Amino acid sequence: MTVRKFKPPNRLSKMIKERGGLLAQDAIAAAEAGVESLREASLAALDETLAEIETRFGKGAENRESESFEALYVLASRIIDVSAFVAGTGLDRAAMSLCGLADNCAEVGAWRWDAVDVHLNALKLLRSVGGSLPTAQRDSMLQGLYKVSHFRPEEA
Amino acid sequence: MTDALLPSTRINLERATVLVLDDNGPSLDILSQVVSGFGVKQLHRAESVADAQSLIKTKTFDLIISDVQMPVTDGIEFIEWLRREGGDANRFIPVILVTGHTRTSQIVKIRDAGANYVVAKPITPKVLLERIFWVAREDRAFIECPTFVGPDRRFKHMGPPPGTDGRRKDDLPAEVGEAQTPNLSDDEISNMMRPAKVQI
Repeated sequence: MTVRKFKPPNRLSKMIKERGGLLAQDAIAAAEAGVESLREASLAALDETLAEIETRFGKGAENRESESFEALYVLASRIIDVSAFVAGTGLDRAAMSLCGLADNCAEVGAWRWDAVDVHLNALKLLRSVGGSLPTAQRDSMLQGLYKVSHFRPEEA
Repeated sequence: MTDALLPSTRINLERATVLVLDDNGPSLDILSQVVSGFGVKQLHRAESVADAQSLIKTKTFDLIISDVQMPVTDGIEFIEWLRREGGDANRFIPVILVTGHTRTSQIVKIRDAGANYVVAKPITPKVLLERIFWVAREDRAFIECPTFVGPDRRFKHMGPPPGTDGRRKDDLPAEVGEAQTPNLSDDEISNMMRPAKVQI
């Protein structure tokens, strides 16, 4: 097998060192301000996603058996995408656990509805009061979710 | 290899042309806002790999930030395509993949996709800027072979796996052998540290 090892020019490397630009702290502050302007829209998207998960995969969903594993995975991923706005609630980690569960179900080709239901209940709870739960209680709830989903956060 | 990004470090991304790719609108908005905040003026957004490929064919980029999980064609396949068929102007540019969750089946694929770095979602400006700084400053060699095109994955110089001889001529064994010469004396070490005039 022929292996070529070489160092291609890195244009970004030259640009980033050019005169002018921003201090890193100012760049980060500007970016954070820009992201903050998306808070309302992102939280609305988050709640829409949670509602869609409930409608399609909740206990009351008539056709949830016919839904795809991929669909749940994608919806759970969307929660993670915007979860910086609900930092400290545990919602992001619960959504990662749900991704792990959907992935796991896809691998074995069968739904584990009890596990899905537990995750959906946890997501609702964390969205509403996650930020005010004692840390130990929140962590214990998340550990419980990880056990149910076989999710290993250190490997995510 | 690279210095850490300090709050007082000055970075200039004004002339950088950046492509951000994410199929989820709100996530793409967040990525775009973050990158714009860093001072990037030439920012191109794509919501699908097909859109990104069209842009790659017509523009020269300096950095790509791409989501992993996308329908039809995902970020891994996109990077594999970029590294082989992205054209000379774009084939070797730094790529940062962003992902909220990595499927078990994709762990090895992501490692072998040819990206420079993988960043976990949710994105925070501090972490993303640190990674951009890192990929801009790194001097990793590129590897091109039938099974992989991308930055050298063995950049931590940890040696070949224990019990193997390695495949490269500069591979050193993981086991450290017995010392072949006596230890340096204190005077010898002091002499190495002593300032001395040099001819420039």
